Amino acid sequence: MPSRFELKIALALVLAVVVPLLAALWLAARLTEENLAFGLNPRVIDSLESTPALYGDLFHARKELYAEQARAIAEGLPADRSRGNRYLETALRRTPRLRRIAWLDAAGAPIAEAEADWSNPEGEWREAPARATLPSGEVLECVFAIEARFFADLDEVRELAETYQSAGLLRADIQRSYVRAFGLVLVAFALLAAAAGTLLARRTTRRVSDLVRAVRELARGNLSVRVEPGRARDEVAGLARAFNDMVREVRKGRDRIVYLEKISGWQEVARRLAHEIKNPLTPILLAFQQLEARFRASPGGDPDLTRLFAETGEIVREEIGTLQRLVEEFSGFAKLPEVRPEPSDLGLFVEEYLRTSPQVEEAADVELVRAGGECPVALDRALMRRVLANLLTNAEEAARPGRARIHLGVSRTGDRAVLTVGDEGPGVDSDVRGRVFDPYFTTRRDGTGLGLAIVKKIVLQHGGEIEVGGRPGGGALFTLAFPLAGRAPV
Amino acid sequence: MPSLRRAALLALALAAGVAAVLAARVATAPQGPSASPGTVAVSLGRVLATFDLSEAFPPDLQRQFGNGLTNVVALHVSLVPEKGDAPAAIYGRTIEVLYDVWKEAYRVTVKDPEHPAGQQLSLTSWKELRAYLAEAKDVNLAPASLLGGGTWVAVARVEVNPVSEELLERTRELIANPRAGAGSDGGSPSVLGAMARFLLRGGQPGPGVHFFRSKPFRAEDGPVR
Repeated sequence: MPSRFELKIALALVLAVVVPLLAALWLAARLTEENLAFGLNPRVIDSLESTPALYGDLFHARKELYAEQARAIAEGLPADRSRGNRYLETALRRTPRLRRIAWLDAAGAPIAEAEADWSNPEGEWREAPARATLPSGEVLECVFAIEARFFADLDEVRELAETYQSAGLLRADIQRSYVRAFGLVLVAFALLAAAAGTLLARRTTRRVSDLVRAVRELARGNLSVRVEPGRARDEVAGLARAFNDMVREVRKGRDRIVYLEKISGWQEVARRLAHEIKNPLTPILLAFQQLEARFRASPGGDPDLTRLFAETGEIVREEIGTLQRLVEEFSGFAKLPEVRPEPSDLGLFVEEYLRTSPQVEEAADVELVRAGGECPVALDRALMRRVLANLLTNAEEAARPGRARIHLGVSRTGDRAVLTVGDEGPGVDSDVRGRVFDPYFTTRRDGTGLGLAIVKKIVLQHGGEIEVGGRPGGGALFTLAFPLAGRAPV
Repeated sequence: MPSLRRAALLALALAAGVAAVLAARVATAPQGPSASPGTVAVSLGRVLATFDLSEAFPPDLQRQFGNGLTNVVALHVSLVPEKGDAPAAIYGRTIEVLYDVWKEAYRVTVKDPEHPAGQQLSLTSWKELRAYLAEAKDVNLAPASLLGGGTWVAVARVEVNPVSEELLERTRELIANPRAGAGSDGGSPSVLGAMARFLLRGGQPGPGVHFFRSKPFRAEDGPVR
């Protein structure tokens, strides 16, 4: 079932073809009329029709001539009949086209005869009789030659005249048949053009229909919708690509908002946990310290009890320390400050971080590669230091028990400044890559699962994106992209 | 309103087209029956019709019939009920007339049911020819039993130089291959002409059509004038 848009395009094509077709048809009608008026000119037909009559006049004139010549010969007939043959032979030689001559008496008996024994100089001929009657009742019968070609020409002219006469009678019908023939040819061409145009238009209209469907899907909230732009380089393909870009950006924006909301929720949980843990922790620690002081001050204790007290005291202090560290991390996560960006260069910032963080060089071999020139970005330097610290710590821990080798890269791609942090550790399994930035998700026994969550939140608050993948050659690769300064974050 | 105006123009153009077609039909409509009635008689069990067709051959046709070209006269006599159009019987006769400019005589070829292969005649004057053409005598229409008890009319239709199938075919040949004339090398056929040939249909009857009617008659009436 063709779409309405497709039908409109096809209709427009048909109209575009039909209008010149009608003009061409009108022109064909006029042209046919003029050609017929020229070819079947009544004056020409009249002339053709009158041609047989001209031949009739010619024949009549010949008959008159031959009759006159016969009379002239008859008038010169000798009185002496014995000289008749010689006279007739002489007359035969002197009279053009005379082929045979006979002198008959009143009873029809021949008196003298002569016949030409030479060929007719004008070629094939037909007999043209002429007769002269003498006062005595005698008759002179002559047979003259008339050119046979006259009769052939007459037949031909008659046939032609009759043909043109019939064509003249059917002139209107001939014109109609030519116009119909023109019409059929033009309609056939129009149909071909419309079919070809429709086929060509269908490729475009279908892509537009696909776009319309995709927009409706998007309106229903489906952010995974995508339109195949095809291989064409036209506006529709550009529109499809722009649509896909738009959907991707919308999806990223939504993911960013969802993530930030989720992080905010987790920050609240962390804040409460820190508070709830921290509040009883100090009294517990003070109470245990008092208990420990009194136990040490009391003389002569039980040795077993003393040893047990020392061991349990060690455990209590260690666990309290762990809880305090946890509380600090929770507090740090819960109290992430607002981003206050200021103009920076991403490459210079990373170099400065490495220069001012000797502990990094102590724990790992770090390689920094800068490409693509300056990368002006708006950064909250304090928070971005925390991002780098978390990522580098992550890399160091991934390499344990060995010494970590960390590859840092800074470059610009399109409208983004890109920072990559790669290590040569075991990498991140592809099935957990979607969760590594979730709070409290960790693959290490002593991890809190907050480091990468903090990293992602800070990056998103900078208008950037972060993703994790595999580093070529092994290990994990974190890619952070920030909008170049002067470009509004999406 | 542009759409109303467009519709009005379209209707006007349509009405003009219909009016033009009707006017053309009226212009080419055959003439009405002649005032000269025919006679009908029943003889030997056959219905015989006789018509005086001289009105169809006025004296000024001499020039046309003596022009040295083939002229054709088509005569159709039909037996139709007085109140009805469908003929019960039809008689057809075709007369080809060619004035021989050498012999100065009319060569006449008559084709009718009695002479399907054609009967040749030679008439030496226009007067003789006109007399021959003007009389359709004892045209054998149908068996008398066909009349039954109804009232009938004999109608004669005379057309001079009708567009015959032969003429039509000759014209089709001409437009299909216009360069193939007498004395030419045959030329090459025209594609458009071939299509036009296929689409060429016979024309409407021309003004040379004449109708003649007998008075209404019944089988028991005997000869009817």
